[in-house]
Amino acid sequence: MLTVCPYFHVHQPHRIKRYSIFDIGHDNEYFNASDDTDLNNGKILRKVAEKSYLPTTAILYELLNQHPEFRFSLSFSGTVLDQFELYAPEVLVAFQKLVATGRVEILADTYYHSLAFFYSRPEFERQVAHHQKKIFDLFGVKPKVFRNTELSYTNDLAVWCEENGYLGIMAEGWDPVLGWRSPNYVYQPKGCSRIKVLLKNYKLSDDIAFRFGNQGWGSWPLDVSTYAKWIHAHHGDGHTINLFMDFETFGEHQWEDTGIFDFLRALPSALLQHGDTSFKTPTETILSYPSVGEIDVPHILTWADTDRDLTAWTGNDIQKDAIASIYRMEDEVMKTKNSDLIEIWRRLQTSDHFYYMCTKWSNDGDVHAYFSPYESPYDAYIAFMNAMSDLQLRVTEMLREEEVFKPPKPKGLWVRFVAWIMRLLGRLPFIKRRLGAQPS
Amino acid sequence: MRILTFGWDYPPMRNGGLGVACHGLTEELNSEGIEVIFVLPRKQTTIGNNQFLFADFAHNAPRSVYRVDSVLVPYQSAHSFIEMFLADGTRVRFSRTILEEVCRYADAAYAIAQTENFDLIHAHDWTSYLAGQKAKLASGKPLVLHVHATSFDQAASEFVDPYVYEIERRAFNDADSIVAISNYTRNIIVNRYNINPEKIEVVHNGIKPQEVKLFAPALAELKAQGKKIVFYHGRITIQKGVDYFIRAARKVVDHDPNIIFVISGWGDMEHEIMHLVGALGLSKNVIFAGALWEDERDRMYQSADLLVMPSVSEPFGLVPLEAIQQGTPALISKQSGVAEVLTHVLKVDFWDIDEMANKIIAVLRYETMNKQLVQEGQKEVLKLTWNRAARKVIDLYYKLLALFRREI
Repeated sequence: MLTVCPYFHVHQPHRIKRYSIFDIGHDNEYFNASDDTDLNNGKILRKVAEKSYLPTTAILYELLNQHPEFRFSLSFSGTVLDQFELYAPEVLVAFQKLVATGRVEILADTYYHSLAFFYSRPEFERQVAHHQKKIFDLFGVKPKVFRNTELSYTNDLAVWCEENGYLGIMAEGWDPVLGWRSPNYVYQPKGCSRIKVLLKNYKLSDDIAFRFGNQGWGSWPLDVSTYAKWIHAHHGDGHTINLFMDFETFGEHQWEDTGIFDFLRALPSALLQHGDTSFKTPTETILSYPSVGEIDVPHILTWADTDRDLTAWTGNDIQKDAIASIYRMEDEVMKTKNSDLIEIWRRLQTSDHFYYMCTKWSNDGDVHAYFSPYESPYDAYIAFMNAMSDLQLRVTEMLREEEVFKPPKPKGLWVRFVAWIMRLLGRLPFIKRRLGAQPS
Repeated sequence: MRILTFGWDYPPMRNGGLGVACHGLTEELNSEGIEVIFVLPRKQTTIGNNQFLFADFAHNAPRSVYRVDSVLVPYQSAHSFIEMFLADGTRVRFSRTILEEVCRYADAAYAIAQTENFDLIHAHDWTSYLAGQKAKLASGKPLVLHVHATSFDQAASEFVDPYVYEIERRAFNDADSIVAISNYTRNIIVNRYNINPEKIEVVHNGIKPQEVKLFAPALAELKAQGKKIVFYHGRITIQKGVDYFIRAARKVVDHDPNIIFVISGWGDMEHEIMHLVGALGLSKNVIFAGALWEDERDRMYQSADLLVMPSVSEPFGLVPLEAIQQGTPALISKQSGVAEVLTHVLKVDFWDIDEMANKIIAVLRYETMNKQLVQEGQKEVLKLTWNRAARKVIDLYYKLLALFRREI
């Protein structure tokens, strides 16, 4: 028995417009670019809906109807769900239809597609809770398996998942971590006793996600029967093939003219043709197979580029500065208790903002490996820092206002303590009387 | 391989980029085993070990290096008088126009090409194009034109000098191959002169790695008061976009009066710019430093917090590279060739003064970015060697020679 566990990640950030120094203190909107650039969030969302979300969900729905064995899982950032509601509600309806079949699992995630786990545990937990609520409100389900932003993973995160009642977690099946072992089994994270980790088979995943339309690739054009053969070759040498990729692979990263939709349409039947092959959701996979060993990841592992670490987000000084600055605001922002300010602060935590500031590619000249709607990483940094400066200004102002309107309090702790004791003593006879009056 | 090269000037003369570029390229061609006979229109001092010929000497004069006061000629219109700077910086005018000089140079080139032995002709910029064409006529050897600038850069508009344009257009058509120092310049040659793009090779200029001499900071008193310094260095002409820079300065100063703008250079727009500074009420924030050279210039680079190159049209642009070498980040116009090879600089459209002001303030405000621009920028500048440029040029030489042999 070999099962395939497909998982598609759905995400769009709130991109920051070209927010200038001169806007600070005058313009409270950071995400409302209305021009024709790729910073216009509504424009991008509608474009991706047209090209990817709508056609792909339609195909997946068809496939679920045709093949009772077919199943897969999805993860949504809260930021993309908010934008569906705002710009393309029909996409949300299409996803709800998929989930309603009962054969599409939704994974747990951070609401803001953030790296909060590595910067602020309390904020991370709030975002996971917020996400869980949103998923329940929209889809009526409660996620049981966790995936973190950019598939980032460490032993600590796995332990957190176990302590918080999840069944399992997703991670990259990266050779330096696995050694001689195969990603096609279920493992146990180090430091955990109950939960399991599902590892992405990056070779078979990236054949679709990255290489499918590449005419320079040796296996181009990839025929669905060839691909099915590659998967069937793992019979006897694995339990599960975990195919993890961006949902936007279908129609957006790989355009329709590459034949990606026909490939997707034909994939389940090609895989099911081998009698002993089927599909499982992550939860089913975790419950069906025993762990064959321990996975130890002391340092952060992600699914990004050849380094499989966070250097695309926090590799250079401006990235480190920007991300540290945003988390430094946490105490003050939370103190305002102002939901607008907190929401904006969280949107600024989305990992994409830091990715746009990446300069790694200029070292190896691989300009196309990093997509950004900004003309330069420095433009991204300037827009981010300017917007954050404005937010800081508003936060400071709000806290000052609160300070001004607060009723005066007794100054010292001792004075307050004594006053409290006196009040308590003053109430004692009254309390006694009340107690005595009560019928027993 | 022997190359007969025509240039207009050569270090140690103080010029814009042309002489420096010729020197950088020639040295590396030498080190790669290419023999260069460098022809100059007038006798002058030269640096390095390359062999030189001076066209204003009878051609049969003994080949040697003549030590005379050197002069400098900017890229000007055909009928302007030749304006030169002596080594001590004093300004001298010659009575002949550039066009007359260019024709004289071409005649001498014909004679030189008849007697010298060489495989290929290489001519730098329009003042040498006629010389290159004449040499080709005399010898039948292939001709490479090296385009460091066009008249469209100098005019910064459609209104180019018709004489220069005609010389350029004919030369481009006549040449066997054209080297453009950037894609930016290549596009001008294709679009404005209707030249087949396949004939044009892009070879970006290099910059010599320099050991940085540290100087005591300039304008120390201002800096002690917490003022930040934004530096412009270059000619003050319409091509260089100094007027946009001043308009952006007005916006910057409105935001933060503690920012000082230092302008180093000379040019025919000097008075206009001074009037603009007065009219915008910026006299307190703009300092005209005159033309700073060598150590003085480097000291200013080091003292500044940012260098701005706001050019309306810049075929390459050496100044930001020099600034980064000296440890100062740069903000450059997108209408420049150097923008094609740099990641770790800030870029802006020269006409977008709001964005220029935004970026000037941002780089002064966000220190982490300022530091990273310098650190990473310096690594990037190290990769822009003249050797890389020379190797590309040599490949082109061999390609042309192979083509020529086949045709014969």
